[in-house]
Amino acid sequence: MNSAPNLGRNRLLATLPRETLAMLEGDLTQVSLSQGVVCFDVGDPIDRVYFPSTGMISLLIPTKDGKVVEAGTIGRRGAAGLQSALGERRSFTRATIQIPGIFTTISAVDFRHAASHNGVIRDLASRYTEVLWAETQQTAACNAIHDGSQRLCRWLLQSADCIGSDHLPLTQEYLADMLGLRRTTVTLLAQELQERGAIRYSRGKIMIRDRKVLEACACECYEATKDENLSLKTGVTLIKDSTLVARPELTGATHADVLFSFARP
Amino acid sequence: MPMYYFHLRDHKTLSDVDGTEFVDASEARSHAIGVARELISNRNGMLGHDWSRWRMSINDDGGNELFSFRMVDFTADSSAK
Repeated sequence: MNSAPNLGRNRLLATLPRETLAMLEGDLTQVSLSQGVVCFDVGDPIDRVYFPSTGMISLLIPTKDGKVVEAGTIGRRGAAGLQSALGERRSFTRATIQIPGIFTTISAVDFRHAASHNGVIRDLASRYTEVLWAETQQTAACNAIHDGSQRLCRWLLQSADCIGSDHLPLTQEYLADMLGLRRTTVTLLAQELQERGAIRYSRGKIMIRDRKVLEACACECYEATKDENLSLKTGVTLIKDSTLVARPELTGATHADVLFSFARP
Repeated sequence: MPMYYFHLRDHKTLSDVDGTEFVDASEARSHAIGVARELISNRNGMLGHDWSRWRMSINDDGGNELFSFRMVDFTADSSAK
């Protein structure tokens, strides 16, 4: 595959041992997807797995009154539909492209076939499910107790991490929908953040200018769901990280975990 | 439908530059209360260290203030609705 550099941008794929990736490579395709594309809707069979390289997928819960609220986001450190490695699955949420970009995809059938011969893939799928579960629990707490400004700041930081860029091509309307806030609330907060030098926004675009300021305004949930903190708290390592690998006693990681996380330089 | 603008005023003003359409002032008032609640759902938020001087000011298209209220009336420990 001549687009290998993009494969490496998704950190789950980058974590796979070289021989596993080589086995998958023939079935992987890269696609450019625009905002609003639905990967799978509520109740749909999960027919493809999406590994974001540069964009972001949002997991949405639609409600009967026509609203949607975001339950989770998936960027370059994750994948949508990964659970289909473990068996035929349907989607509980609506998975939608929220930030356009490049996505590496594989059909669920091919992925499952590969997983049936490869413990590393099955293991990755179950680990990632745990990580997503932890993130979702944090989001539930966050939505219940943190105010609009804290959640907005957390969301901006998290999304920037997801896509690996401080330029977020999102309108305030869209942001408001994702956070379950009124557009007016987001407009007022964005203005305050701009005055503080944290962001710059114009129609359809938000740019993070000062992460420190934004972090100071975000709730603790941003810090709590960073890779290293999730790993520390759950003992699940997904992404290779020198500090965790060096201190498996902190994470309860087994020797195999450490090897796994070292498997791809 | 008329446009309404929901500014937040302290020693400075955070302007609602875009505004929102509502059928009437009573709908606009409900919206304003909703925005206030989203902003102050706890006391640790970005703006929430001290709400005592903040007011929400609801304006029409011509920039005239229709009504306003103190944000502090919507903090968690207030008896306001």
